[in-house]
Amino acid sequence: MSNSSVYPTPINAFKQSKRSVLSVIVDNEPGILARIVGLFSGRGYNIEALNVTVVDIENNLSRITIETLGEEKVIEQIIAQLEKLVPVHSATNLANLKESYEAEICLVKIEYENDDQDHKILSFADIYRTRTVQKRQNFVVYEISGTSERINKFLDDLHTISDIKVEKVRSGPIGLGI
Amino acid sequence: MSTDKELTGAEIVLEALKEQEVDTIFGYPGGAVLPIYDALFGQNFLKHVLVRQEGGAVHAAEGYARSSGKVGVLLVTSGPGVTNVVTGLTDALMDSIPIVCFSGQVPSHLIGTDAFQECDTTGITRPCTKHNYLVKDVNKLPEIIHEAFEIARSGRPGPVLIDIPKDVQFAKSIYKKKSDVTFKSHRIKSGSKDIDRIFIEKLIDHIKKSNKPIFYVGGGCLNSGPKASEELIKLVHLTKIPITTTLHGLGCYPAEDDKSLGMLGMHGTYEANLAMNQCDLMVNIGARFDDRVTGRLDAFSPESIKFHFDIDKSSINKNVKVDYHTNTDITVSLKAVNEYIESNQITFDSTQYDSWWSQIKQWREKNCLHYEQTDETIKPQHAITRLYELTNQKDTFVTTEVGQHQMWAAQYYKFAKPNRWITSGGLGTMGFGMPAAIGAQMANPESLVIDIAGEASFLMNIQEIATAVQYKLPIKIFILNNEYMGMVRQWQELLHGSRYSESYVDALPDFKKLAESFNAVGVRAKNLSELDDAINEMVAVDRPVIADIWVDKKENCFPMIPSGAAHSEMLLSKYDKEKPENQEKGKVLV
Repeated sequence: MSNSSVYPTPINAFKQSKRSVLSVIVDNEPGILARIVGLFSGRGYNIEALNVTVVDIENNLSRITIETLGEEKVIEQIIAQLEKLVPVHSATNLANLKESYEAEICLVKIEYENDDQDHKILSFADIYRTRTVQKRQNFVVYEISGTSERINKFLDDLHTISDIKVEKVRSGPIGLGI
Repeated sequence: MSTDKELTGAEIVLEALKEQEVDTIFGYPGGAVLPIYDALFGQNFLKHVLVRQEGGAVHAAEGYARSSGKVGVLLVTSGPGVTNVVTGLTDALMDSIPIVCFSGQVPSHLIGTDAFQECDTTGITRPCTKHNYLVKDVNKLPEIIHEAFEIARSGRPGPVLIDIPKDVQFAKSIYKKKSDVTFKSHRIKSGSKDIDRIFIEKLIDHIKKSNKPIFYVGGGCLNSGPKASEELIKLVHLTKIPITTTLHGLGCYPAEDDKSLGMLGMHGTYEANLAMNQCDLMVNIGARFDDRVTGRLDAFSPESIKFHFDIDKSSINKNVKVDYHTNTDITVSLKAVNEYIESNQITFDSTQYDSWWSQIKQWREKNCLHYEQTDETIKPQHAITRLYELTNQKDTFVTTEVGQHQMWAAQYYKFAKPNRWITSGGLGTMGFGMPAAIGAQMANPESLVIDIAGEASFLMNIQEIATAVQYKLPIKIFILNNEYMGMVRQWQELLHGSRYSESYVDALPDFKKLAESFNAVGVRAKNLSELDDAINEMVAVDRPVIADIWVDKKENCFPMIPSGAAHSEMLLSKYDKEKPENQEKGKVLV
């Protein structure tokens, strides 16, 4: 999202915006996602990507990963606001940890017309070590995982091939602090 | 009641209220809460106050909570019943007032079908409560209620809502006592009780080093309990540092004491705002650097080292970056500061702040709250001054509506004790004062409760006068009647070229007759010679009174820091004109 979004976004949020990935552990109860999303929209913060799944069935915990943009002061405020929510156990900015790992998964469907395109696609797929999910005449579906940056690069490279049709879905990043 | 006996959901609500020592509940019945009203019928520990609109119930609960330090409780029905309380819940959230709101909901199997009087209550109230619940299983009801009370009163207090479908009110379960509920600490967020030694040592160190220190005290001090106020008074006496309070901090420190600079902020005193602007050490105790206090942020107290006591971590560095902070409860922290000073026999050089105090004395000589009561037209400031002088010997609680009268009340009514001043600060809810007075009177039946009102605000919840009459609550509604939405008119005069668009309140009722029609008492003062008699009569009558005080229609509230201006750019009187460039900047702000 950029400042040219159709929704007015506080200019402050873009001053020295940097990307942060927040990891939030919550009680898995009705309305928790709405609370978090509402907090972001109500206070004018950005959500670039969002991922929610139960991670601990026994203790009924979910981990929510949020990719957001904002200057450091805003990110600190987001964390403090998240930690005020009753079902939230903890909210962590992965960037503040000594060690953390990120991954994202992306499925790409590529439609092509000729062998030349097919070769180019194959060579990128090889470089990026994608997994082939499905291959038929004139289209292929790959799965690629890794950091968001790596996936971005792969998609950028695909776009250098002319006249192919690319359809994709991304999970958004997930991350783990060690 | 034995604990292993099965109770209905409605009975569980009552049992939990009893265990939580709730003695008063404000509410309005309707289809989806009838089982709870049925359970109310046969009991006598709980006094139900029937309001005339649900909005009144929530403000009454706020007034009850603020004046008693307890959790305020209300009960409303589904749909419009609960949408009517949204304003009050938001008000309580902004001003950190502990409230538990019970709402009825359509039966579980009808949820999502657009049933009669159905609305998405938890969805609507999610952003305006500290937490809310939709109870789907009666077995969870007891612990939800106990947790709700705990959340409402812990840490930074706030409103909590419990939405109970009608079938759950009928369903049966075994009651679970509070002592049998294990609260999870991550859910309660009660704030730290651990003394922050390093913070305290740094604070004392800086107090000793500073030449121009100031205490800036807010509603957090109030919420920490009356002990916080006692410790604060002690600390000010030990250090001899000047103190200013926010709108909600009024009463935490006696206003008549010479260390008090009065209220700060948009309509604060000249001395308080300039002291904030020029101090070298600012000690913020439970205030949140609200825009009404800071004025233009880049010019806010540029030279000071800032210490911040706040139980809410999200208040730290939100608007203003501070140098040191603690999230420990204010009572604990202030007590520790005082103990540290005493046990280490720290003495403060009595001459250290001499030049600071003489500077403050010069600012005080501006006499910024001066007004001229020259002719027979009552000046609103004078009306409040007389009200104060004629009531300050009594145990008095003051609530207000929102607008000029509210600021005049804050400026001219001098509070000596905490919890005596009940006003809508953060949200600025017109119509707050009268129902809040009802709540305060319920909590303090022997005290004098006055709602200082404007005629426009009063009309917003006027129906509640019937509630006061029904329950024989002798609240006093003291209307400064200027026939305008005074604060709107003031802004239009200062910022919009005196174009008084829609701020004149035409077709006002005759408030005296109105009072009589409700079986309340009406008094009126049209001019100065009638003012004292009207106040005395109002106070003497042991019934609800509406006092219609006709005041100068064109009076403005000064001092004023216009929106977007700095503390040092105050307007002191109508002769001070706002700089045109500030006018344009201020116009776009709130």
